[in-house]
Amino acid sequence: MTRRETPLLPATDAREAALFFVIGALCFLAALAALTTRGTYKAAEAWGAQIEGDITVVMRDTDRRTAQAVTDRVSGFANVFEARLLSQEEVEMLLEPSLGPGGLPEGLPIPMLMMVQADMAVGDPSPDIARILSEMGVDGDVAGNAGYADNVRAALGVLRLVALSIVALLSATAIAVIAFATHAALLARRDIVDVLHLSGAEDRYIAALFERRFWILALQAGLGGAVAALMVTALIVFTGSGSQGVEAQLLPRLSLDFWDIVILLVTPIAAGLAARMAARLTVLNSLKETL
Amino acid sequence: MVRFRPDLSDEPAVRLDGVSLTYERTGEVLSEIDVVLRQGSFTFLTGPSGAGKSSLLKLMYLAHAPTRGGVRLFGQQTYDLKRKQLAAMRRRIGVVFQEFRLLDHLTAFENVALPLRVLGQKPDAYQNEVIDLLRWVGLGERVDAPTPSLSGGEQQRVAIARALINKPDLLIADEPTGNVDPDMGRKILRLFAELNKRVGTTILIATHDLELIREFDAPVLRLSDGLLVRDVEYGAEA
Repeated sequence: MTRRETPLLPATDAREAALFFVIGALCFLAALAALTTRGTYKAAEAWGAQIEGDITVVMRDTDRRTAQAVTDRVSGFANVFEARLLSQEEVEMLLEPSLGPGGLPEGLPIPMLMMVQADMAVGDPSPDIARILSEMGVDGDVAGNAGYADNVRAALGVLRLVALSIVALLSATAIAVIAFATHAALLARRDIVDVLHLSGAEDRYIAALFERRFWILALQAGLGGAVAALMVTALIVFTGSGSQGVEAQLLPRLSLDFWDIVILLVTPIAAGLAARMAARLTVLNSLKETL
Repeated sequence: MVRFRPDLSDEPAVRLDGVSLTYERTGEVLSEIDVVLRQGSFTFLTGPSGAGKSSLLKLMYLAHAPTRGGVRLFGQQTYDLKRKQLAAMRRRIGVVFQEFRLLDHLTAFENVALPLRVLGQKPDAYQNEVIDLLRWVGLGERVDAPTPSLSGGEQQRVAIARALINKPDLLIADEPTGNVDPDMGRKILRLFAELNKRVGTTILIATHDLELIREFDAPVLRLSDGLLVRDVEYGAEA
């Protein structure tokens, strides 16, 4: 009868359970931070594109029918998603913060306002809108958000940098803590290292035992953390992202696309590799202290 | 039964030349020690606690390097050996400790087989050999017993079997009777004596039990405060 070989390292003990929890929690935070950063990136992209594409056309001393005709022509441009002439009430609401409540003074000339949502990727329609105004004899101005968008883009750049720094810092901390916790858990196994060493085992044999053990432990813990992050993200995506207001545009856009799944898969592998490397270095260093 | 292959060359099994050992914390523990253990010799090492017995043994089983002096094992200087060669050299040395140093999650069989397992051998290849050795140390009925279920004497005999499974040329025992009752201590030393007589394994036993030593007709090295008091050659012919 062939004998079964019991693993040379004993089954998980309390110290490794603590290490499992630490790695799982760190992977959860790192994965969530990475997903949130991606979401922030995506939100910043979308918000920047929207601001850049918003154009306001002011038409003075003209009637509503002419203004609507201008709006219809602008709507037909290939690089315009939408062109809409604001109603009298909407214009008054826009002016209210400047002129105060209680209605506008009698006889105050109110301009017609057209809001244009342009596709800047195709091209800026501002010159064409100005040409239409001129052709139709309308006194008006085309006000884009290019200058404002530059400021917004700069602010979003800072936001991205901060988010990326947080991810980098959290990942580095996670790797350092995993390495330290692995080192501590391994020192508690020093007796086994000594017995194997004196039994004539070569350094790489002993190191491989611990590497394999901590690689699997960290991989499982990391997977647990990543799955928890996936569940939280899914919860947010499917239930918590219903807000459609302006403030919603400023929030990270969490989703679960291909790259998000890649992040979730990479997290436990990175944790496993960190633990494996830490185990290897700890064993080899502790063996070097002996002859 | 055990079938060993002692190295019968003229080189001593162990030769320490002017060896000193200093620990950072405690200072010098061994000072200018010269020792020669001939092949096939059976020797006791004694001395009070803290005299440096364990440190001297550590130099011999290659756990430490001396601060000064040279350690030659089986005719080979050890200071310039590469780590792979040191591991190979360690496989020629069996070590038995007072506190057994068995792996608790393994059975008696698996503990004894450990030195073969780390060489990549499979149970089929060493099964009979391990069982034979366990029978020789009187544990034929306890082959598959979990280590924690064994008594102190049984654990020490498992440790002895583990030290012998590689057929070492040199067996070093550090207070092997320290954690067992006197009768068991006597039995263990008789096992060592039998091994030395039948197989020719060089054996060095550190103990402070002078009464037990007197029962054996073997030379004694005495350490005191890091100095070898009887600094002469002991060996098979002694």
